[in-house]
Amino acid sequence: MEAAAASLSQPAPGAWWRGRAGAAIVVAIAILIAFFGWKNQLPWPASLTWNSLSHDLDNFQAWLSNNRNVPHPSIVFRAFNGVANFLDNLVGWLTSLLFKLTWAGTTMLGTLVVLRFGGRRAALIVLAAFVSFAAMGLWDPVVRTFALTFASVGLSLAIGLPLGVWAGRSDRFQRIVTPVLDAMQIIPAFAYLMPIVILFSVGPGAAVATTLIYAIPPAIRITALGIRGVPTNTVEAAEALGATKMQTLLKVQLPLARRLLLLSVNQTILFALSMVVIAGLIGGQGLGAVVTSGLYSDPALALVAGAAIVIMAIALDRATEAMANRTDPAHRHLTEGMKRTLRLYTAACAAAVGLAVGLGYAFGAGSSWNRWTAQNWLLGYVQDALNYVQNPNTFVFHITSPIGNFLVQYGLSPLQSFFVETPWPAMTFGLALIAYFISGLRPAVITFAMLALIGGVTNEWTNAMETLSQVLVATLFTLLVGIPLGIWAAESLRARQTMRPILDVLQTLPQLVYIIPFIYLMPVSIVPGVLASVLYAAPVVIRLVEAGIREVSPYPVEAAGAFGATRLQVLLKVKIPLAREAIMLGVNQGIIMVLAVVVIAGLVGSGALGYDVAQGLQQSLFGQGVLASLAILALGIALDRVTQGRRRKHIEFA
Amino acid sequence: MKVRAGGLAALAAIAVVALTASAAGAKAQAACGTVTLNQQAWAGSEANTYVAKNVLESIGCTVKITTIAEVPVYQAMADGKTDAVLEDWGHVPQQQQYVAKQKTVVAEGPNGVTGVIGWYIPTYLMKQYPQFKTWKGLKGKETLFKSPESGSQGMFLGGDPSYQQKDKVLIQALHLNFKFVSVGAEPAQVARWTQLYKQHKPVLFYWYDPQYLNAQYKLSQVQLPPRFKGCQDDETKGGNPAKYACAYPTYVLQKFFSAKFAKSGSPAVAVLKRFKWSNADQNSVAGAIAGKHMDPDKAAKAWIAANKAKVNTWLGK
Repeated sequence: MEAAAASLSQPAPGAWWRGRAGAAIVVAIAILIAFFGWKNQLPWPASLTWNSLSHDLDNFQAWLSNNRNVPHPSIVFRAFNGVANFLDNLVGWLTSLLFKLTWAGTTMLGTLVVLRFGGRRAALIVLAAFVSFAAMGLWDPVVRTFALTFASVGLSLAIGLPLGVWAGRSDRFQRIVTPVLDAMQIIPAFAYLMPIVILFSVGPGAAVATTLIYAIPPAIRITALGIRGVPTNTVEAAEALGATKMQTLLKVQLPLARRLLLLSVNQTILFALSMVVIAGLIGGQGLGAVVTSGLYSDPALALVAGAAIVIMAIALDRATEAMANRTDPAHRHLTEGMKRTLRLYTAACAAAVGLAVGLGYAFGAGSSWNRWTAQNWLLGYVQDALNYVQNPNTFVFHITSPIGNFLVQYGLSPLQSFFVETPWPAMTFGLALIAYFISGLRPAVITFAMLALIGGVTNEWTNAMETLSQVLVATLFTLLVGIPLGIWAAESLRARQTMRPILDVLQTLPQLVYIIPFIYLMPVSIVPGVLASVLYAAPVVIRLVEAGIREVSPYPVEAAGAFGATRLQVLLKVKIPLAREAIMLGVNQGIIMVLAVVVIAGLVGSGALGYDVAQGLQQSLFGQGVLASLAILALGIALDRVTQGRRRKHIEFA
Repeated sequence: MKVRAGGLAALAAIAVVALTASAAGAKAQAACGTVTLNQQAWAGSEANTYVAKNVLESIGCTVKITTIAEVPVYQAMADGKTDAVLEDWGHVPQQQQYVAKQKTVVAEGPNGVTGVIGWYIPTYLMKQYPQFKTWKGLKGKETLFKSPESGSQGMFLGGDPSYQQKDKVLIQALHLNFKFVSVGAEPAQVARWTQLYKQHKPVLFYWYDPQYLNAQYKLSQVQLPPRFKGCQDDETKGGNPAKYACAYPTYVLQKFFSAKFAKSGSPAVAVLKRFKWSNADQNSVAGAIAGKHMDPDKAAKAWIAANKAKVNTWLGK
């Protein structure tokens, strides 16, 4: 009730923007006039650019490498070396353990652990996953990738969850940590892969370090959101009853934030698995390596390996969820007798695993399954499908190809030339003014500063404008798709159940694996990149919006129902306004995810910043890669502040 | 009696120890331990890596294959985590840093394959327009290569971001009316030009040889201006475009070893040092792997069986 009253006392959303939206549109028209009047005449001036930075960065990398690769490097390098060795050993130990158990023992161990703690359904999913890995003939790479992922997810959660709790309880820490997380998610791994390799060398250690950078942020963010979502009155009630801070956290906040904590575990797993391919580039081995070399010489194999990553993601996610639900103390009241039975059950499971390992050795099962596999049969089917897609004489191609051409010719290309060819003063001041009218002074200043940074420091003005035009389109589509689907998923159990596996696939199937066949259908630049961005970013938005709406406290919803509000009215007037924070986090993550795949977009024909970053790694133009990444980050910060400016202000001064 | 029995037992024990030791010694002499080769992303590299792997396995080495990206692999060699790269397309800054300065990586000379980079068009187009034999023939005909994203210009399909290129500045220097379209990684570029090829449409693109697809698609090279003294290839250096107005150099593809491996005295070092084959050899194995989807080990073994003489020279026989 109180929350509902609070939401009613806020100024009604929508009232403030009429005048401002008008002003923003006027500014947009002014930019358009500048575009037609002075097209291509004022590119970012070289005199306003700091030129030597890229070279300095190159020198820095050379210095790093020259000082690291000496017989007795300094203590700092040795410290990195120690961490790398620790991670290498951790992953290596896990891998060799799983191999030593033999395939039979590993399967039994995985299935029975999940059966004991998660229940029959989850155990069946895990067993099916093991069978499919064997059938795909990818047992060996799967085990390596699993060890890598297990270590990465474990470390990400061990670091991310406590920091998330802290960020959920302290506004100050939240403010400090948010931009850092933005940077960790937006700056493409390609930009820092080389320094990581110099510091950590190649191998599983470097792969885990890279994965951590990408997988920790969702753990922190979503945990913080969960802690913040716990109603204040509940926390106050606990404190009034004399609970200590720790007690409040453990007994009130964490249990009530359960659903979002689970989402944060789920997202950490998916984010970690989406780094498998990158990890493969620096000696992560496993499925990433199969995907990369497959893309060049056997696309069907790359697809099958991608499917294995997806299956692993789904199995891991369902297993952790089932185990968390089963062991939820809120729903478990064990009598002594039940405890005894469970202990027996555990012992039986352990014995069964032992037996499987023993039998595995007795019959020489071997560390990985490599007898009969359905790999060739599968590859045949996938190849047939690829052949169809690659044939320009099919019915489908005659539909998809003109659509792609139309989109580029009349949508994306003109938009791109608008951003690239408009005089720079019109662009910088215009966009800052629009930010001012939409979001206020601070976001406007930040937008201006970011644009100045792009032009003056990163020397990537043209590329950044090109990328901006694509990112805007992709973000728009991401939100248009993501928010309604998220609301639908929150309202309908069936929609949720149907969407979930699809979202898992989209978040973990390496983009290159499905976008490259798509290029055959729509052989034109930019469209495949925009599609890849939307398909990768929308699932995160859907999930956050869904979780946010379902998390809305039931009391205001019941109250509104008691007043006779229809379901739609409850949704629009109560649930969505109350889920505002989660929806805005969804918007923020949508933007960030679109920017996180700018490099992938560059690899499938979007060019611009993404291409420069990829080239930076692969042609040892370290400085270029870092600066292009900075430009991507600057775009991300500007976009985020413009969309979130008012909300931040609201929270800070509330 | 007792003493005798004891002596006998001791003798037997000594015999057993000696036998085991000699067996172990013999084994140690033959064993070359584990050798780690790096396979680069493209099919040709997969071909030479797997052939080398199978040859080394035949002399008792255990061979591991890593798939580290082209530039990070230099650090991997510096750390001794990768022992050898058998096909490198010339990474000048890395060579200056790791080979010349740090001496953590050793250059081991050519692998026998020459790499050619250039501008390619389908052969059917060359037959239709014989003037495309040289770049001059493209002048005025650029709009033939128009695409939805190139506007009023013709489209030039750029190569994989990891490959050596200077097409943007070359187009500028030759005053050609082409728009350089970067289509991304090689598989994406292949998607673009093969789709046009199958429709018998005009297409001009960055391409190279040896490449297994050259056996499946008939392609012809457009001759660029000849190389002159002081002509430049590194686009990122900037400066006057006219300095770049020459064909790409031919690349003598090199082998690189980790310094640790080179000094290890492993019998694998000598074999890999002698490893050398031709473009045709490489294309036949790469074609079997990537074109016919043959298992790389099987493809390598088949080639080895058919080329005993060449393999024997690598083995020093």
